[in-house]
Amino acid sequence: MAKLIGLDKLANYFRVIKHNGGILGSIKTLLRTDDLKFGTLVGVDKLGNKYFENNLYFYGRNRWVVYHEKFGLNYDGSLVPSEWYGWLHYKTDYLPHEDPGRPKHKWMIQDWSENLSGSDKQYVPYGTTRTKVEGWTPPK
Amino acid sequence: MEKMLSGVKLYSVCSRVTPRTLAVSGRTYYKYVNDKEESLAFKDLIDRGIHTSFLTEICRGFFVAFGHIFKEPATINYPFEKGPLSPRFRGEHALRRYPSGEERCIACKLCEAICPAQAITIEAEERADGSRRTTRYDIDMTKCIYCGFCQEACPVDAIVEGPNFEFSTESHEELLYNKDKLLSNGDKWESEIASNIHADHLYR
Amino acid sequence: MLRGPLTKALPCARILSPVKTLSTSAINNEKFEVFIDDKKVMVDPGTTVLQAAAMVGVEIPRFCYHERLSVAGNCRMCLVEVEKSAKPVAACAMPVMKGWRVKTNSEMTRRAREGVMEFLLVNHPLDCPICDQGGECDLQDQSMAFGSDRSRFTDIDHSGKRAVEDKDIGPLVKTIMTRCIHCTRCIRFASEVAGVDDLGTTGRGSDMQVGTYVEKLFLSELSGNVIDLCPVGALTSKPYSFTARPWETRKTESVDVLDAVGSNIIVSTRTGEVLRILPRLNEDINEEWLADKGRFAYDGLKRQRLLTPFVRNCQGQLIATEWEDALIAVAQKLQTSEIAGVVGSLADAESMVALKDLLNRLGSEDLYTEYPFPLEGSGTDLRSSYLLNNKIARVEDADLVLLIGTNPRFEAPLFNARLRKGYLTNELDVGYIGPKVDLRYDYEHLGESTDLIKQLASGSHAFSKKLACAKKPLIVVGADLLSRPDGAAILALVQQLAAKVTTDANVSSEWKVLNVLQKAASQVAALDLGYKPGTASIRDKKPKVLFLLGSDEGTISRGDVGQDCFIIYQGHHGDHGASIADAILPGAAYTEKQGTYVNTEGRAQQTLTAVSPPGLAREDWKIIRALSEIIGEKLPYDTLLEIRDRLGQVAPHLIRYGELEEANYAEQATELAKGVSSNLSSEPVDVKQKNLEDYYMTDPVSRASGTMAKCIQAVHKQKQSKYYEEAVN
Repeated sequence: MAKLIGLDKLANYFRVIKHNGGILGSIKTLLRTDDLKFGTLVGVDKLGNKYFENNLYFYGRNRWVVYHEKFGLNYDGSLVPSEWYGWLHYKTDYLPHEDPGRPKHKWMIQDWSENLSGSDKQYVPYGTTRTKVEGWTPPK
Repeated sequence: MEKMLSGVKLYSVCSRVTPRTLAVSGRTYYKYVNDKEESLAFKDLIDRGIHTSFLTEICRGFFVAFGHIFKEPATINYPFEKGPLSPRFRGEHALRRYPSGEERCIACKLCEAICPAQAITIEAEERADGSRRTTRYDIDMTKCIYCGFCQEACPVDAIVEGPNFEFSTESHEELLYNKDKLLSNGDKWESEIASNIHADHLYR
Repeated sequence: MLRGPLTKALPCARILSPVKTLSTSAINNEKFEVFIDDKKVMVDPGTTVLQAAAMVGVEIPRFCYHERLSVAGNCRMCLVEVEKSAKPVAACAMPVMKGWRVKTNSEMTRRAREGVMEFLLVNHPLDCPICDQGGECDLQDQSMAFGSDRSRFTDIDHSGKRAVEDKDIGPLVKTIMTRCIHCTRCIRFASEVAGVDDLGTTGRGSDMQVGTYVEKLFLSELSGNVIDLCPVGALTSKPYSFTARPWETRKTESVDVLDAVGSNIIVSTRTGEVLRILPRLNEDINEEWLADKGRFAYDGLKRQRLLTPFVRNCQGQLIATEWEDALIAVAQKLQTSEIAGVVGSLADAESMVALKDLLNRLGSEDLYTEYPFPLEGSGTDLRSSYLLNNKIARVEDADLVLLIGTNPRFEAPLFNARLRKGYLTNELDVGYIGPKVDLRYDYEHLGESTDLIKQLASGSHAFSKKLACAKKPLIVVGADLLSRPDGAAILALVQQLAAKVTTDANVSSEWKVLNVLQKAASQVAALDLGYKPGTASIRDKKPKVLFLLGSDEGTISRGDVGQDCFIIYQGHHGDHGASIADAILPGAAYTEKQGTYVNTEGRAQQTLTAVSPPGLAREDWKIIRALSEIIGEKLPYDTLLEIRDRLGQVAPHLIRYGELEEANYAEQATELAKGVSSNLSSEPVDVKQKNLEDYYMTDPVSRASGTMAKCIQAVHKQKQSKYYEEAVN
């Protein structure tokens, strides 16, 4: 009955407000993410990004990430570490710690960095071969 | 409309008899796709006049738009929500390692040979321990057409096209990847690459 | 006389030997017809199935068979069906009989090949991705063409694949013996062509191994050729290992200049770097072989290079400069006629003619080569005095060769391979005057004294009889011997001896008895262009300016010309010449320019540009041309074609590439030589390169080469080995 007259929508609306930390928090979230949603927190990655899931939303919107506060408005899509990448992109339903296909080798890079293009830490190409022709230097 | 219907009828009749006769007798079936002349009957003129003066179409449009405010949006809110990807997605390249940490690439140069865009450049020599390794493994990501032939050609699963597509850059030179960059890509994405290969292993 | 151990040891090997063919043809010399795939072909008796098939253009797959080696018949890949024969026959070893119908494409042939291929692959590691032979591998190609498309090999879990330990056979050839398919081509090459019986097989069945029996290096001046011969990746090139694939390299046809034979080569390059050098087929010169120095010294082209011009500043320090400054500095010094020019062993004819024109315009006639040659008598005016007149290829036909003061094994390894071929197949006898050296075939050592030549010329020596009886005698004199102070007398004596032999043995006028074996690639062209041999007269003249065009042999030093002489060095390596120079102009090496070279038999050939010169280095004749313009004596040629026109004016045969210009005035030269004093010094006949370690470093390129240095180390290491024994003749 409540669904029929749309009361469930209203209830969800209040749940969203509550989930985002009240009216003030909701305004803040809306400013940062242009969207207000609610869901269950399924995990937090090593950067502090929080991952949520709520299957009330349609496929494609039912999993999302909220970037850590420290990134402010400088969040970037490439801030999702590779462990969470598959889950967020709906490739797998396993959460990173449940997935049997995910190796943990010690040589794998642990410090995740976003796409650094444009910053002073950006990748600049360099040669990896030694000089082809050795020149002669006159004896002193 | 009438013409069209008659066309359909004619076609169906013809086809029932024999489709060959249609080809011989010429084309009679067509669909008129341009605007049709509007009817100038009095009733229709009045109808159109009322719709125009009361802005009915605009109001209806507004209502449709207003209704969608309360509906769930049909777009996704990137970068918070991301679209579904296949494990076979071909994104940014990476060079993988063996579990021991030894690089996989053996400088066989098959990827270089098969690359249709000639984006890969390899130079190799004997490493101090006598194994065959590259000294240079460059991919010009601006030449690459992401066809995935390199990973198909690789006998040791060293070069792979990883899942990452968020590697856009502000300058051209940043897309000229060298061996270090590709290896560090592999180290960064190994978790996801291994998971993708695992997901696909039944079909290989 | 047992000359080729393998030709006797293998029964089927005799099929191809000329003696055997002669004896059969004596009985029945008529051609008869056989049918290859129903195509009729007329063949001589003794022709093998494989050769008969080749006549009608049917290629039968093979691994062990090689045209230039004896037949082994052990790979079985060439099995073909012969009508009315129950079993397939090995085409390489089976002589065809009259009326045979050979089917090279039948079901039985196809299945035989597939079976052989399957057996080969069972014992082959299939590590193509890391194998250097990948892309040019006979096994790869033939398994694609004749092999099955699926495998029945399941033993991987039980006894596994055959694996063989690798052998260390030296710094040039890398072995991965697991890949070996036991074709024994390398063994046959070593014992037949190179004359080094070091390689052989041990064990049988799947325990068979190719190796050196004891721990030993396979050291020969021709060792690199086993890499080309190996149909799989068991023997690969160590310096080239893992660097490139055959499909990604650019191949440039060129000519080797590290000895005077002028072997034809292919230079493989990629990204402006010479990656390897392979032999190019030329039946008149090098067949399909290449000596190790020409093949492996290419890494010297990447080290010790002159990349910028240098000019000595007021503190006496060589400073790298721009071309403009260097050319102006050099031009200022060249405003004099007291200039002398010396060309080195690697100079091309274009730069030599440009230097000659420039110095002549400046009023100087002092142009010299590094290697002396007697000027008395006809001197260098008649080419027959300094050429290998009888052609390299015709050496095989000789039945008696007298070597005087030369070690062809190291001075011209491929010439020596021809001699050995004649020795094996043509009953060639060799006489030798000089220090005892190892030529890898037996010779009659006459002694070391120069008197021997006198005795031979007068006919008083025992060997004279042999010379007189010979049908096709040859006398080969080393250029080094003629550079002695009494070289003129030696040359005169040898010319007399040759004339005497020619009349005594009554050889045809086509057959040239007198031959001089040169050592430097530039020498013949320089003498053809009118350069004077030897640098002795520079020491007397003390010129104000000395122009060294790549002369690095140290025949002239700073002390010879005095401190105030301005020395200009133009060349490609920082070697002896650069170390005494006041100004250095960086030139191009032989892989970096299109240059003309004339080999020891007088054949003009050209190198082609495989890579561009490194750094600021430029082609040599262009540097001299630019210099001439700054001096104000502009040389009248701007393009390669124009300078070659000029070359043609001076010596027309220099631009007839690939053709051999014969010298025909041997008699006149002998006449002119009669007036030369015949005072021989008592110094014994000597050769400079006696042992293998003397072979590897003889010019600026090979001296800069790390590979060549490793070879010398390997030879020294071998000498300490307990299995080493001094070669005895």
